[in-house]
Amino acid sequence: MEAALKQLRAPAEATLQRASAFGAAFGIGIATYIALSAAAGDAPACIDGSHGCLTVAESSYSHLLGINVAVFGIAGYAVLLVVAMMRGDAARLTGFALGLIGFGFSVYLTYLELFAIDAICQWCVASAIVMTVVFAINTTRMMRYVGTET
Amino acid sequence: MQLGSAAAFLAIVVVAVLIVISQSQTEGGDTNLEDVGLVNHELRGIPQEGLALGRAAPVKLVEFGDLQCPSCRAVAEDAMPGLIDSRVRNGSARLEFRNFVIIGDESTPAGAAAIAAGMQGHGWNFIELFYRNQGTENSGYVTDEFLTSLAKSAGVPDIARWNRDRRSNDAIAQVERSTEEADGLGFDGTPSFAVESPGTKGLEPLGFLSSTGDLEAAVDKAR
Repeated sequence: MEAALKQLRAPAEATLQRASAFGAAFGIGIATYIALSAAAGDAPACIDGSHGCLTVAESSYSHLLGINVAVFGIAGYAVLLVVAMMRGDAARLTGFALGLIGFGFSVYLTYLELFAIDAICQWCVASAIVMTVVFAINTTRMMRYVGTET
Repeated sequence: MQLGSAAAFLAIVVVAVLIVISQSQTEGGDTNLEDVGLVNHELRGIPQEGLALGRAAPVKLVEFGDLQCPSCRAVAEDAMPGLIDSRVRNGSARLEFRNFVIIGDESTPAGAAAIAAGMQGHGWNFIELFYRNQGTENSGYVTDEFLTSLAKSAGVPDIARWNRDRRSNDAIAQVERSTEEADGLGFDGTPSFAVESPGTKGLEPLGFLSSTGDLEAAVDKAR
């Protein structure tokens, strides 16, 4: 039992890497859909038919330095996917730092949706959830495995 | 773990920088505008030229409106969406907005801002958003911040150019000319409508119309 609990507390690094890679790939899919919709002059389709996705997509917060925020999301998830497949402390620390950046910015964007834009885009929320999970995985990987042999 | 702390610090700095950049982009804008998605959805795919909505059509329906006018807002919310769907989107009629300043001084910069937005193909988005976010008449709400926020939400791509255009003598003169034109047509309230078609001699005044049915009937009669 104790051994099993230890196993739960500290999953094998390979398991964490696979989970992070899966999450990052999923995130790339979501961010790509949002970016492609914007590139086509449209907005992601909200599942309930509401205008939330359109409102968020057309708000001034949807771009950073003239680039759609979703493009930054694709880049971030892509790097997370790469580091998830790499070994060593550099990959662990990069994954953690990028995960924290993604998580922090996702919290900020969700705050904007709720209190500034006054609309919720389900795709953005989905991406924020995925990023949170990926961040948690990379935090676990960093805390448990930095300094250990690969 | 020191490396982990350094990575966390670096990440927090990056997030802070991103937030500062994001906030600086939207300075001067009230982001709590109503119905941005609704308006942009309503107008999506319909060509705009100046303050005209829809492609060239046999019937031109002109709204002489004051952006501060509550009745205009009511017509914009209750009657226009139906007309746009049934007569403008399919090319049966073209809608045109012309400023008719009757409420007060704040209506002139508002109208000029709409004209400037029209120069970049987003005039109707601006007008519809203005109506839906009206404040109390002449209460001082038509500030640069308010107008900029509307322009950004209306999708005006070049805000610097829009700022120059809205402050130009030409835009102000256009507002004054269309107000004189409305007076010349005998209008004394907003919104007042006029129609032009091959069967009319120039602009034919219709007066106040407040329902989708009335507006559709005016278009159909002019065809």
